[in-house]
Amino acid sequence: MVSGAHMTESTPLLQVTDLSIRFAGVPGNLVDGVSLTLNAGETLCVVGESGCGKSLTALALMGLLPMPPARRMSGQAIFEGQDLFDMPLEALKDIRGNRMAMIFQEPMTSLNPAIKVGEQIAEAVRRHKGVNREQARARALEMLRRVRIPAPEKRLDEYPHQMSGGMRQRAMIAMALANDPALLIADEPTTALDVTVQAQVLDLMRTLQRETNAALIMITHDLGVVAEMADTVVVMYAGRIVEAGPVRKVFEDPQHPYTIGLMSSMPDLGPRGGRLVTIPGVVPPADAMPEGCRFAARCPFAGADCAAAPPLRDLGDRHRVACWRAPLEFGAPDLAAHPAAQGAAS
Amino acid sequence: MTALTDTTHPPRKPRSRVWRKLRANPSALLGAVLVGFFTLIAVLAPVLPLPGPMETDWMAVRKAPSGAHLLGTDEIGRDVLARMVWGAQASLLAGVVSVAIALAIGIPLGVAAGYARGWTDAVISRGTEALLAAPFLILAIALAAFLGPSLSNAMIAIGLSAMPVFVRLARGQTMSVMTEDYVESARAVGLGHMAIIWRYILPNIFPPLLVQATLTVATAIIAEASLSFLGLGQQPPAPSWGSMLNVAKNFLEQAPWMALWPGIAIFLVVLGFNLLGDGLRDALDPRDS
Repeated sequence: MVSGAHMTESTPLLQVTDLSIRFAGVPGNLVDGVSLTLNAGETLCVVGESGCGKSLTALALMGLLPMPPARRMSGQAIFEGQDLFDMPLEALKDIRGNRMAMIFQEPMTSLNPAIKVGEQIAEAVRRHKGVNREQARARALEMLRRVRIPAPEKRLDEYPHQMSGGMRQRAMIAMALANDPALLIADEPTTALDVTVQAQVLDLMRTLQRETNAALIMITHDLGVVAEMADTVVVMYAGRIVEAGPVRKVFEDPQHPYTIGLMSSMPDLGPRGGRLVTIPGVVPPADAMPEGCRFAARCPFAGADCAAAPPLRDLGDRHRVACWRAPLEFGAPDLAAHPAAQGAAS
Repeated sequence: MTALTDTTHPPRKPRSRVWRKLRANPSALLGAVLVGFFTLIAVLAPVLPLPGPMETDWMAVRKAPSGAHLLGTDEIGRDVLARMVWGAQASLLAGVVSVAIALAIGIPLGVAAGYARGWTDAVISRGTEALLAAPFLILAIALAAFLGPSLSNAMIAIGLSAMPVFVRLARGQTMSVMTEDYVESARAVGLGHMAIIWRYILPNIFPPLLVQATLTVATAIIAEASLSFLGLGQQPPAPSWGSMLNVAKNFLEQAPWMALWPGIAIFLVVLGFNLLGDGLRDALDPRDS
């Protein structure tokens, strides 16, 4: 009954329920009622613009949110049978970098400039596996080889500043995968890289994921990356999930006006014709979140009913949308012809 | 697959870049030469062909520089050159040991404050500020007087007085390194506090501390000379530039060389450490390459 590549084992690898995060001094939730399900080996992409809460969600899962100022208002994250949000810090540290690892956005600054790359990877191995220095070093070498860094024996003893950005990101991936994690969280891993290197790194991540059967949560704002990588996609807007589902469903038949706007604001290859479609307006500031649908002020279809927050409803085939207008009975509307203001006023 | 276009950079360690920049800087080089020179004579003091620094010769009291006594003799006929050479040992030792004391106490406190924040930081910072409120030399004199006059007590007094500066510097640097992405990625790997401090904080706060330490050696040498001048440091008859100056001030008209040489030596060695420290600061500055 379900489409998509890897489906329904009895218990998912990661089950996040109703995660809400608030920051001191800000009245609204910056992450509001987010729920995610991820099976082993599956890739979940979280998309949305800057400040939509996608990175906060990832950091919260890793236990890396600075608290205070951040505060978790509600939520559970069951990972391999344990609630990540309800365990002592020491237990979480044993999981971090071991069963669950993270790749950051900035390869240029995410490696310690004072330590050789090989030692940094070896350190991550020694932290979690009871191995000696030589074994950890051998593992680091093996990992550098697996991420296809040329001349890995030499690179092992180099400092990060001797490597290019693409190579550093490979080294970060090597470090993250060194302990065979079941879950890899990548926060915009290719944003800082140039386009050709991006493609190589994505390709590498896909290959390694296939080899290790790790599940991947990929945070991105690049729909091209989503199309390339995802089994499932989650679209976030202003801290809430507005649409989620198998990537093919969401791309072929986007239901939320925000998703539709995102899709049509993508530049395509080929001859340029006219202006790119933009979504009018801006994301509401965190201290002035509207009560109801947070997208209403920018939505060409908004009406009086949008003053109440729409629930995330399942339209079938795990395709879920938080919009009163869904399912849309027509194709993607021509947003360019609908200045937002006209629909928003009521 | 995945053809690699990454260009291989010539292997070049940061230390070698620092060294190159240091060598290209004439004043830093002069500083290094001065420091090297005084260090050399201080180390070689026991083997240099000189009379003992405490050997008196009543036949040659307050003699001007000559072939027999290159820098002259003092008021009880001791060879000034010999006393200068042994005095270099006291001065440099005082400078280095007191800075080592300051670092040994200051860095752990500063890193603890910057890493833990909260009330740990509040306690350490308030204490540091209280110490910083007292002028450096006054504090050192008070501590030395309290501990009792001797060279080792002078070193402790100077070290404790210089310590707050290192607490502050280490705290600030720790706080700034803590915001770096690589510290977050260290936490994401599951490393504990000690591993993060040892491997991620300390190596990255080291350069500014090194510069400050070099400059503080100069200050500490002056402080030692001042304490010895006041009789709170090296005790006679053991030689020290400060105590030599103290005696020499009584004979400025009859035997000016007694004051001249220690004065010049203090000037040169302090200049040397300052030039070297400034050079290190420039060389370690990653902003211009």
